[in-house]
Amino acid sequence: MSEAPRQITLREWDRRYERWQAAGVPQPAYGGPLGRHVADGDTRLLKLRFDNSPAALRLWNFLLTEEDRLRAARAGGKRLVGTMKDLGTVPVMAYSLDNLVAFYPDGAWWIPCVMEVNSGLLQIADSLGIDESFCPVRAMLGAFVTEAHFPIPDLLTCSVGATCDDFSAIAQRLNGLGHPILWWEIPHRRAPEEGEEAVLLPGGFSAPKSQIEFVKSELQRVRFALEDLAGRSLDDEMLARGIAQANEVRRLLAQLQHLAFTAAPCPMPALEMLIAEMLAIHFCSDRAETIAVLRELLEEVNRRVAAGTGYFPADAVRIFWVNPVADLRVMNLLEDCGGRICGTEYLFTHALDPIPVDVPPLETLAQMALADPMVGSAIDRATRIIAEICRFGAEAVIVSRIPGASHCALEGEIIAEMVREECGLPVLEIEVPPLTDAMAPALRTRLEALVETVRDRRSR
Amino acid sequence: MMYAGIDAGSRAIKVVLIGDDGLEIIAKGQVDQGVEQDALAGGLFEAVLARAGIPRSDVRRIVATGYGRNAVRLADTTITEITCHAVGVRHLMPAAMTVIDIGGQDSKLVRLDEKGKVRDFAMNDRCAAGTGRFLEVVAARLGLALGDLGPMAAQSQNPAAISSMCVVFAETEIIGLLAGGRAREDVVAGVQTAIAARIVAMAGRNVEPPIVFTGGVARISGMETALQMALGRPVVVSPEPQMTGALGAALLARRHAENM
Repeated sequence: MSEAPRQITLREWDRRYERWQAAGVPQPAYGGPLGRHVADGDTRLLKLRFDNSPAALRLWNFLLTEEDRLRAARAGGKRLVGTMKDLGTVPVMAYSLDNLVAFYPDGAWWIPCVMEVNSGLLQIADSLGIDESFCPVRAMLGAFVTEAHFPIPDLLTCSVGATCDDFSAIAQRLNGLGHPILWWEIPHRRAPEEGEEAVLLPGGFSAPKSQIEFVKSELQRVRFALEDLAGRSLDDEMLARGIAQANEVRRLLAQLQHLAFTAAPCPMPALEMLIAEMLAIHFCSDRAETIAVLRELLEEVNRRVAAGTGYFPADAVRIFWVNPVADLRVMNLLEDCGGRICGTEYLFTHALDPIPVDVPPLETLAQMALADPMVGSAIDRATRIIAEICRFGAEAVIVSRIPGASHCALEGEIIAEMVREECGLPVLEIEVPPLTDAMAPALRTRLEALVETVRDRRSR
Repeated sequence: MMYAGIDAGSRAIKVVLIGDDGLEIIAKGQVDQGVEQDALAGGLFEAVLARAGIPRSDVRRIVATGYGRNAVRLADTTITEITCHAVGVRHLMPAAMTVIDIGGQDSKLVRLDEKGKVRDFAMNDRCAAGTGRFLEVVAARLGLALGDLGPMAAQSQNPAAISSMCVVFAETEIIGLLAGGRAREDVVAGVQTAIAARIVAMAGRNVEPPIVFTGGVARISGMETALQMALGRPVVVSPEPQMTGALGAALLARRHAENM
């Protein structure tokens, strides 16, 4: 089954799957042809190109069967926790209790893309007064109304405060629709003042000890709520075990990133890497399977690196990508235009950093929450991005804005200016709505022009 | 040998031929854009060759640029208009450090380095407010030809403030201004100022002179003045502004041929 890496269409995947099935190649329980997801309405898949490895097929099937997994978990007696906005802290706590399953309702922001806006979720959000001036995460409202994309969770948590304004408005509207939310506050991360006890956070930021204590007290409230839901206590030992498992996910992702961003040829395309990175936030509703999926992906990448096989010509332009794209197809487009990803900042770098294990569990989780790039200043975020750009040797940067997302509008320009000034690299700012078909020629021109610019710079 | 550049823009297709020395334009031509882009480009190319008495076999390499570049099948390769405008402008005006290109449906700002290579660029193509399309809408609303807009704007003593950020809403605003008795001259000058303001918003800080204005809209008098006012710096219109993209493509065709 080990073939040369190649990006293939969904139809090619389905033909290949038939051959595997006939040959008795084992598949996970959620395995199957990708085409069945199109039958469920995920028509965007027909326009994507996928990595041809069995590991990639497993990754996609894992991602696209999350709803089935959630319903099965509920049917099996588990309680569901919808963890909104914090991007990687509460799920670590929830998965420390073996009868809870956490998921990320915000993930519904990709449904308008994957279903090519046929889901009607955005129209429902419109009807609820949350129109296109808000981030596409508003699709989540429609998903709660239709109950067609995930079961209604037994507990909803949401971080609020120094998170994005439009998300808070969307979550407040959800609360108003009769879905009570356990709000927990995350303050704006600030530098310690003179005389204040400082704590060095993962990612290189620092915050006053008092802010850590505050977030810890907020997470303590979340812990109590999780204990109530689970009907059992969540002690530090259980949390420590949960943290160890989360760290295993992060360790695998760090290895994957390192190889995918630095190896030549590139061993894994941008689209699969984006999906893999997203698993860090909430484990796609199955932490153990997340680890298995990532291990297989890493094995494939290691195999390719060892064999010297991979993607893209040697002169592919090394791009650092900032912010996730609402339309997955754009990751394919970048590669069509001669670019390859060598570094990403998809707004959740704190969910990829190892969780320190030398401090008590709740304190370390409070540190992680405060290390969120979205709860500090744009300059903090840009500083970290610049460090990553240098680490991975990027030649250009793309800042991809999410329409309606307030932080993108505010932070994109600051990040772009700092990168230009400190790294001297060309920076392209683009906006990527859930469907880019109408603007694909214009997007292509920009991406091609960026690639041309870098290639011309090389010849200086 | 000859080298050809074809700029398949949103409003017009332009062809430029240059010779081995790359110093001057040997022949050029232009035709309105249409649905059959490939046929239009091919027809124009043949017509330019015929007028200049140059056999097709003398053309060693062809580069297509512009939004319709991928439809031009006779081209050997495609290069974006951002790169081509930069090369074309720098050829004509070697000191240029910033290129502003306002075309029929998009606008671009290209920053160059001291060697004339693209350092960075910004592009507006999602909103017609910073493009020639805005001028077309106004011309149509006022019953004027595009070429009449410049002289009319020049008569304005007090340009109208057009506050709408969208051409569709701006058209409504213009109707209101005219209905309210505002002079047509002031409205046209106001539209030119509004377009310039969009370019400045796209440019941000650090617009380094000399600033060269190119693209079809640069041919409309008054636009360079509006840009100068908005940028607070001198703006020079490129020679043959509508041809700089095609010229850059031809120069790149020659450069590619040399490297083959």
